[in-house]
Amino acid sequence: MALIRAGLQRLANVFNGGQAGVLSRFVTSLSPVESKTVPETTKDVIAECNNLIEKNASRNFAIVHLLGKQWRVTDGDLLVVEGYWPPSIGDKIRLDKVLVAGTKDFSLIGRPLVQPGLVDVTATVISKGLSHTRTHFKKKRRKQFMRINFYRSPQTILRINSVEIANKINEAPKNVF
Amino acid sequence: MSAKNLFLKPGFVRAPLQNGVGRYVCQLQRIVLKFCKSHGSSRGLRDYIEQDLVDFAKENPGVVVYLKPRRHRGPIVVAEYLNGDRVWMNMHNKTHAEITKWIDVLRTQQGDNSSTRLRKYQYTDHPSIQGPWTPFTFKNPALNTAELPNQAFGANDRLPMSATEQLRLMFEAQKLGKNEELKTGE
Repeated sequence: MALIRAGLQRLANVFNGGQAGVLSRFVTSLSPVESKTVPETTKDVIAECNNLIEKNASRNFAIVHLLGKQWRVTDGDLLVVEGYWPPSIGDKIRLDKVLVAGTKDFSLIGRPLVQPGLVDVTATVISKGLSHTRTHFKKKRRKQFMRINFYRSPQTILRINSVEIANKINEAPKNVF
Repeated sequence: MSAKNLFLKPGFVRAPLQNGVGRYVCQLQRIVLKFCKSHGSSRGLRDYIEQDLVDFAKENPGVVVYLKPRRHRGPIVVAEYLNGDRVWMNMHNKTHAEITKWIDVLRTQQGDNSSTRLRKYQYTDHPSIQGPWTPFTFKNPALNTAELPNQAFGANDRLPMSATEQLRLMFEAQKLGKNEELKTGE
């Protein structure tokens, strides 16, 4: 009796032993819930993000706030900023209001801004000119009212030189403002 | 003037020769000031030449400045750019201050902007970095293995609850309530 039992046990072990025994091919090896505590996972994610930044695995992008508009920028982009803006040609500027920064694999979302010193977006002013002539035409029917105005608004062209993320996510921010 | 800008050539934002990537190069290469020494319409341009032109030439060593006095002709400024554009501007009866501003515009712009209407205000070589959005991004991955048509995924949960459904729910609730009552009774 004991022998039979031992034999059965061995047979059961063949099927169930280790991960899933012989049946392992038919069982998905994905464990849905990892037995890690939440803070540990967070640490791992941050470490992985820092690692990705260090490896410079993919292109960075940032969403910057500039003169009331939000622009999604990467290295080598051209932006046309409309309206009066003091910077002159050849000026190198840093765009400090970064709302979102990210790479292919992760995004850093600011609330509302990403902490200062973490993301460095630099740009060069390429050209400051005027737009084409725009027509502002108003007419009211049967009221003997007609106005026509022409205007050209100032346009500044910016070249984005670099979008860099420092690999020190989760470090205390240095608030310089 | 009025119909001219309705049929402008449309274009996209460009910078000649990757300007600004490594270093910045001033796009204005040559400026020619044509004026008359005696006529009143050239007065502002003559003032500009007397007071500001030397400073302008000193501050912009990359720009070639020509002066062309010509008898009894109107004042003209012609600017030539690195991309081959040539901007012709009439300075007839313009004051010194106006001319200073216009010449600064000619200096800072990168070509003939007035002849093209910009269709986009941004240019990028990399339109998407994390991949373009599709209807399946951020969706439950269980959808990948589900066999369609599926009751769970096919349900239209955006419609408001119908009267029939509400009645059925009420009926179910009532039944449950009765059962509970029965149970408690037991």
